[in-house]
Amino acid sequence: MFRFIVRRLLVTIPTILVVISITWVLIKLAPGNFYSGEKPLPAAIEKSIREKYGLDKPWYHQYGKTMWGIVGHLDFGTSLRFQGQSVNTIIKRSLPVSATVGILAYLLALIVGITVGSIAALKQNSKWDYGSMALAMLGISVPNFVLGPILILIFSLGLYWLPPSRWGGFPSRSLILPVITLSAIYMAYIARLTRAGMLEVLRSDYIRTARAKGLSERDVLIRHALRGGLMPVISYTGPALAFLLTGTVVIERIFALPGLGNYFIQASLNRDEPLIIGIVAFIAMTLLFMNLLVDIAYAFLDPRVRYQ
Amino acid sequence: MATEKKPEPDDLIHIGPEMAVAEADLRSEETGAFIHGTSLWRDAWRRLLKNKLAVFGLVVVVIVTISSIVGPTLIQRIFGFTPDYIPSHDPALTKSFPPFTGPNNEFSWAHPFGTDNAGRDQLARVLQGGQISLFVGILSTLVSLVIGVSYGAIAGYVGGRVDNVMMRIVDVLYSLPYVIIVIVLLSMFRSQTPRGQLILLFIAIGSVSWLTMARIVRGQVLSLKNQEFVLAARATGVSNSRIIFRHLVPNTLGPVIVYTTLTIPQIMLTEAFLSFLGFGVQAPLASWGSLAADGIQNIAIFPWQLIFPGVTMALTLFSLNFLGDGLRDALDPQMRTV
Amino acid sequence: MSSGKFRQIVGLVLLASLAFSTYSCTVASSDEEFFGTTTPPTRNIFRYVTGDEPASLDPAISNGQPEARIYMALYEGLVEYNPKTLAPEPALAERWHINNDSSEFTFHLRTTGRWSNGDPIDANDFVYSFRRALNKKTASRNAYLASYLKYAKAYNEQQVFVRDPQTGQFLLARDFQENPPAEAIGNSPIDPAKSEYLPDPNETTPDPDTAFHHLMHSPLRLTLPGDEKSRSKMIAADPKLKAAVAGKEFVQVVGEDIGVEAVDKYTVRLNLMQQAPFFLGLLAHQVFRLQPRKAVEQWGDQWTQPEHIVTCGPFKMKTWVPYDKLVLERDPMYWDAQNVKLEELHFYPILDNATVMNLYKVGELDAVYNRAVPTPWLHVIRHKKDYMDKAEAALDYLIMNTTKPPLDNPKVRKAFNLSIDKEAYANWRQIIKPLTTFMPEGMFPGYPQPKGPAFNPAEARRLLGEAGYPVIQNSDGTYSCPKFPVDQVEFIYNSQSANKSVAEWMQAQWKQNLGITVALRNMEWKTFLDTRANLEYKGFARGAYGADYMDPFTFLTVFYTAEESGTGWLDPKYIAMLDEANRTLDQKTRYELLAKAEAYMLDNQPVIPLDTPSVNWLKKPYVKGMYPNPASLFAWKYVYIERDRAKWDYGTPSLTAE
Repeated sequence: MFRFIVRRLLVTIPTILVVISITWVLIKLAPGNFYSGEKPLPAAIEKSIREKYGLDKPWYHQYGKTMWGIVGHLDFGTSLRFQGQSVNTIIKRSLPVSATVGILAYLLALIVGITVGSIAALKQNSKWDYGSMALAMLGISVPNFVLGPILILIFSLGLYWLPPSRWGGFPSRSLILPVITLSAIYMAYIARLTRAGMLEVLRSDYIRTARAKGLSERDVLIRHALRGGLMPVISYTGPALAFLLTGTVVIERIFALPGLGNYFIQASLNRDEPLIIGIVAFIAMTLLFMNLLVDIAYAFLDPRVRYQ
Repeated sequence: MATEKKPEPDDLIHIGPEMAVAEADLRSEETGAFIHGTSLWRDAWRRLLKNKLAVFGLVVVVIVTISSIVGPTLIQRIFGFTPDYIPSHDPALTKSFPPFTGPNNEFSWAHPFGTDNAGRDQLARVLQGGQISLFVGILSTLVSLVIGVSYGAIAGYVGGRVDNVMMRIVDVLYSLPYVIIVIVLLSMFRSQTPRGQLILLFIAIGSVSWLTMARIVRGQVLSLKNQEFVLAARATGVSNSRIIFRHLVPNTLGPVIVYTTLTIPQIMLTEAFLSFLGFGVQAPLASWGSLAADGIQNIAIFPWQLIFPGVTMALTLFSLNFLGDGLRDALDPQMRTV
Repeated sequence: MSSGKFRQIVGLVLLASLAFSTYSCTVASSDEEFFGTTTPPTRNIFRYVTGDEPASLDPAISNGQPEARIYMALYEGLVEYNPKTLAPEPALAERWHINNDSSEFTFHLRTTGRWSNGDPIDANDFVYSFRRALNKKTASRNAYLASYLKYAKAYNEQQVFVRDPQTGQFLLARDFQENPPAEAIGNSPIDPAKSEYLPDPNETTPDPDTAFHHLMHSPLRLTLPGDEKSRSKMIAADPKLKAAVAGKEFVQVVGEDIGVEAVDKYTVRLNLMQQAPFFLGLLAHQVFRLQPRKAVEQWGDQWTQPEHIVTCGPFKMKTWVPYDKLVLERDPMYWDAQNVKLEELHFYPILDNATVMNLYKVGELDAVYNRAVPTPWLHVIRHKKDYMDKAEAALDYLIMNTTKPPLDNPKVRKAFNLSIDKEAYANWRQIIKPLTTFMPEGMFPGYPQPKGPAFNPAEARRLLGEAGYPVIQNSDGTYSCPKFPVDQVEFIYNSQSANKSVAEWMQAQWKQNLGITVALRNMEWKTFLDTRANLEYKGFARGAYGADYMDPFTFLTVFYTAEESGTGWLDPKYIAMLDEANRTLDQKTRYELLAKAEAYMLDNQPVIPLDTPSVNWLKKPYVKGMYPNPASLFAWKYVYIERDRAKWDYGTPSLTAE
C-alpha cells in the first residue's frame, strides 16, 4: 500500500509540471493581451504596462520565473486582470464557493441516489423501479445547462420564489437552485449504480448465508447488502468529485457564482496568465489527490481487495 | 454467476461519470465469453427487440436522425426557407416569434418551434443542429474507437514492458484536467471558419475520449491472447498485426459496441457543454448545444428558444442511453443466466 | 419488460415538454407595464450591476466604464459630471477661472474636503495624485488623457530635457519644429466670461516667485525619448538636432516638472501644453480623481484592499468580495454628506446580460447598466415604462484597411459606404440613429456638422467602375462585379451574436447593391483586437468609439495617431487641421475648423460611419435622481429611492424639469 502511494506521488509531480508547461505554452501562443480593449492604447502606455508585468523579458526568463514561483514557494504570482490580487488569494476565496456548491450537491446526490437506488433494487421490476430508473435516465440525459435555466424560468422568473442567481453565502436560499441543478446528474448515476450494486449483492452467496444464519431482514440489508452494494458508488466518488469541478464551471456561469470555474473561464478569455496557470495547476492537483484518496479508500473497504 | 475479478486500483481511477458506469458494467465480461458463432448476434438482436425501452430509444434515434437529415430540405420545399434564412428585407420579421405564431400574433403553421432572434425558423435550426450534433457525436466516437482499439489491442497483445509504458501514458493522460485544457485551447485559438472550428472540436474531443476504450480493449485482449485459437494462429505463422486485427479485435466487439453506444451521448454532451461556454460550434452552423446556449440568453422573454433545442437534445440523449443500456443487456452474458 | 414502463416514460417526456412550452409562453406574453416586480427595497440601498468585476479600485489605473461608475462613488476630483448633461460642476474645487487662451486653469478648493479617514484634503493631494497617475510605474491606461498638461507626456514616457552643462540653458522645442504651434504661455489676463463658477472678487491668485512658476511660464523645452536607442536614432536622423545636442547633457523629466502646481494650500493651478478648451470637462475623468497619498505609500498596490483603502467620494468602502459584491456606504466625512441620500450602494459584478436581466426582473436589482438589454429584446422591452433611452456619445462604424488593395483606393471605399442603406439599417436595429459623419448628431450644440453622402447605390456602382471594377447588371436585375478581387476583402468581427447579425446585414447590402459578396470572419475577442490593431486584416472590421469627454475632438482624435484608428490612414494634413483648430480660442471658429477637418477625413473615407447608438437600460420606477445621460455616468449622491408611488417615474425622466 505504502509503495503504491509513493509510486503514485512520484508520477503526480511531473504530471502537474507538464500540465502547467502545456498551459503556459498555450497562453504564450495565443493572440491578444490582457490589457487590450476596444480603444487601442497608445504605444508608450502599452510599453509601460508590459514593463510593469515583466512581459518585455525573454520567454525563458518569464517561464523560469513562473515555474520557480510555483515550485519554489507554491506562489502563482499576481493576477493581471485583478490588480494587486494574488492568485493564491483568489483561489482561497473562490474555492469555498465551488466547494460548498459541489459538496452540497454531492451529499444531496448521495442521499437521494442511494435511497432511490436501494428502493428500486428491493422492489425490482415494480413500477417504483421503472419510474425511478426512467427519471434517473432523464437526469443523465438533460444537460445541466438546460436544467438550470429551466429551473430559473419556473421558480424564479415565473413564480418569484427563489433568486435566479448570485451567491448568497451559506446557508441561503440562493443555493437551492444551483445545488439541485448540479446534483441532478450525480443523483441519477448514483441511483443507477446503487441499484446495480445492490441487485448483484442480493443475489450473492454471503447474503444467502446471512439470511440462512437467521439475521433479520433489516440487518441483512443494512449491514451486508448496502455495504457491498455501495462499492460501485464509492469507486465512482473519486471521478465524480473531480468532475464536479467541471460541472461547477457551468453552474457558476449560469448562476453567476464567484467560484473557481467562473474565474477560470474569465481568466482564459482575459489572457490572465498567472490566474489561468494557478487554477489549472490547482485543479490538476486536486484531481490527482482525490483519485489517490479513492484508491486508498477502496482498498480499505472492499473485502476482496483487502483479503487478497 | 461469473467470478468477479479483483479490480485493479488503476482501472478504477480517473474515470468520468459515464465511463465509471460503463466500466463497472463491463468489468465482469473480461472472460471473453462471447466467442461463439453468429447465433450470439442473432440472440442479442432478439433480446434487444424484446426490450421495449431500447426499441423506443432505437426508434427515436432513427426518427431524429432521419428528420435531421431530410428535415431542413423538406422545410425548404414546403415553406421556402433554409435554416439560416434571415428575412432581412423586413424588420418586422427579423425578431423572435413564439411557436405557431405569425408576425401579427395570429396562429400560423410556418414556425411550429417559433423563430430565433434574427427571425430564423427554429424547427429548421433544431433539425440542422441535429445534423451537427449527431455528426460530432458519431465522428468523434469513431476517432476514439480507432485510436482506442488499436492502442489497447497492441498494448494488451505485446504485453510486458511495452504494455506497462503504454498504460502509464494512459494513466497520465487520464489525470490531466482535460476539459480545463480544452477550454484554454479553445478560448485562445478559435478557428475563423465554422468548418475549422468543427475540426478543432473533433481533435479536442476525440483525442481525450479514447482512453477508456483503450483500457477496455486491452483487458479483453489480455484475457484472449492465451486462448487456443490465438496460440494456433501463432503456431501457423500468422503475423502479429494480423493476429491483433483479424483474430483478437473482432472478439472484443461486444463490449466495444456497448461502450461506443454509450460514448456517443457523452460526446454530444461534451460538445454541448463546450458550445454552451461559447467554445464549440460556431454560427452559421448550429448544434443543439449552441442553440440552447443562445436560448439561455433569452429565457426571461423568449423561453421557446431554449426549450425546443434543449428538449430535443435531452430526448435524443435519453434514447441513446436507453439504446446503449439495452444493447448492454442484450450482449451481457450475465443477464442471460438470470 | 412491461409495457407500463414504456408508456410511463413516453408520457413523462411528452408531458414535460408540453408543460414547459405552454408555461413558457405564458411567462413571456405577460403584458406588464414594467419589466418584473416594482417593490422598493426596505432600506435606502441601491443595487446595481455596473458590468464585469472592476480591474482595480485605484482610479488612476483602469480605463473601463464599469470602473468609472464605481470611482464616481468612491473618489472625487476637482470637478464632477452633472448628472443630466455631464457638464463639469464643482466638486472638491468650489470655484475656478480659466485664462484667456484656455491654457491655464486655476482652481479654488473648498476647505471642507475630507478623506474618509478624516484627514483634510488640500492642494498638495492634487499635486501628488496627478504625479502618481502619470508615473510610468503606475502604468495607467488613461495617462494619455493628461497629455495636455505641460510635460505630462514626457514624464509618463520617461523622456529627457537637453541642458547645456555650462550655461544651464535648456534647448527649446520651438527651435526644432517646422511649424511651431502658437504656444500657450498663460500670461494673458483672465477673461471672466470663461467660468460659470467665478472666484470671489477678493480672492487673489498669487503668482509665486518660484522656479517652477517660471518654468511653467517660459517657452516649452525640447524633450527627447528617454530610451537611449530610439534617442540616438532620432538624433542621427536630424542633422540640426545632432549639432544642437553635441556636448549637452540629458536630464530626466521628473514628476516635479509637470504642469500642476499647489499655489497655496487651497489653490491648484494647471498649465497646459496647448490651448484645450475642453480640458475642464476632461478633469472629471477618473484618471484625475484623488488618490490617498498616505495609504498608497504605506500599502503599495495593496492599498485598495478593503482594510487599507481611503477614499474621498460620497461613499466609502463597507465590504468587498471580488466577483460577488462591492458594498459602499455613505461617508459621513464627505463634504456634502447631508445631501447624499442613499445609505448604501451595492455593485454586483456580472458580465452576462441574461443574468443581469433576470435579476432585475425578480427585483434583486434596482437598475441595470447601459446596453444590458439584449438588442433582440428591444421590440418588447422598449415599450415598458422602466426603459431608459437617449442618444449616446458614441459611434458604431466599420473601419477599412486602407493599406491593402483594393481598399487603398478611396473610390472603392466610398462605393462601399454609398451602397449601405443606413436608414433601413437603423430601422432594423430599432433604437439607433443612422450616421453619415463621424460625430453623433446634435451631441455638441453649435458644432456645424458636415453632411455625409446619402445612400446612393447608382453612384457607388459608378465609382467602382471608375476604380476599374465595373458593376454589371444581370438579366434578372441583380448585379455582379466580376473584376472585383473578392478574395482580397473580408469582414472581421468579434464573436457575438449582435455583431454577427450586423455583419450579415452589411454583407447582404453589398451583395444586393454592388454584386460583391464579402466573406465574413468572426474572431475571439482578444484575437480580434490584436488583428485589428496590427492591421492584419484585409477589408473591413467592426469598430466602435465612446467619448472620453464632451467635445467633438474626442471623436476626431481617433485618426490623430497611428495606433488608434486601425485603418492605417494617417494624413499630416488632417493632423495639421486639428492642431490649428485646437490653437483657436474662439469656440465658434474652433468648431468650424474641427468640422472642416472632419469633412476632410470623411472625404478620404477611411471609415464607414454606421450609427449613433442609444443608451438602453432599465431602472425601477422608484429609483429617482438617475438620468439617462450620453455616457451613462451617474453622480450617485443624487440617487434616491422614492416610496411614494405618485412620484415614481413612468418612462424616461425629463432632463429639463425638476
